[in-house]
Amino acid sequence: MKEGDRDGEVADKWEVQLRKGCLELAILAALWGGKLYGLEILRRLESDSDLIVSEGTVYPLLSRLKALGLVRSEWVESESGHPRKYYALTAAGKHRAVEMATTWARFSSSMGKLLAPLGKGR
Amino acid sequence: MTMAIENDAQQLIDTYLKSLRTKLRGLNRDDINEIIEELRSHIQDKAASSGELTVAGVREALAALGSAEELAREYATDALLARAEFSRSPLRVLDSLFRWASLSAAGFLVLVSTVVGYFLGGAFMWCAVLKLVHPRTAGLWLIPLSDGGFAISLRMGFGSPPIDGRELLGWWILPLGLIGGCALVVLTTRFALWSARQYRRSHLLPQA
Repeated sequence: MKEGDRDGEVADKWEVQLRKGCLELAILAALWGGKLYGLEILRRLESDSDLIVSEGTVYPLLSRLKALGLVRSEWVESESGHPRKYYALTAAGKHRAVEMATTWARFSSSMGKLLAPLGKGR
Repeated sequence: MTMAIENDAQQLIDTYLKSLRTKLRGLNRDDINEIIEELRSHIQDKAASSGELTVAGVREALAALGSAEELAREYATDALLARAEFSRSPLRVLDSLFRWASLSAAGFLVLVSTVVGYFLGGAFMWCAVLKLVHPRTAGLWLIPLSDGGFAISLRMGFGSPPIDGRELLGWWILPLGLIGGCALVVLTTRFALWSARQYRRSHLLPQA
């Protein structure tokens, strides 16, 4: 029983690490279609990916991506009565997103080959 | 009545953001204003998703954001990492570490280790340079102690040489001090950035 619990914990930690590694790419990808504000990015991540992200994490990360020159931001007045800070990819951000997506695709396809026999065994 | 509820809700938001502003102190003033205004907008959007700003909605939005302290820590470590991508100058790294240290015990430990690392690195380089000025007294000395043991001392060469002491490196302190000192400074910077990155990663997502 205890052994099983520990196995589950190790598997959970692995999954958390895996998700963490994808967050930067996921944010850049969410912005690929056009500018979005923070809450929209969070909702996009929730609906289009399996990433459950803490809200307090995305905003500092966005400001880091901005400091790195991968995204830019602008304040836009909204009908809700307060302005919203929109983020959009810069040329460097687009380049980085494509680069990361290529690496992801290559990695995922090579892992796919390795993992194929496991699927048959299930 | 609705007005009073909205006021209470606004007050809750103001209290949270005021506390966050205090904890962000040290970051660039414009950056702090941007952060505060962005989060105000986020909380208002989130809390008023049903149309009206309610106290319960604000409480829920604030809980989802996490404590002001935790949020400030995230911003501080992110600022450190972002700055380090542009400049790895020890002064910049130390400046950012001071901010991080004021927010968490982990930051404080990293700051102390980094200060020690830079101090030793600087001392070795300084000693190498002073060897040119004080060729007989500057260097790494092995000094016998009264209890029979030995102490190793990096001496800058001011004053007279230690009694019964033996200089270990001679002129080798010049290249070794410069290269070793530089290496120590570079390694210390890497350690500080690595620690910040590890800390950042461990706080990225709610623990499973």
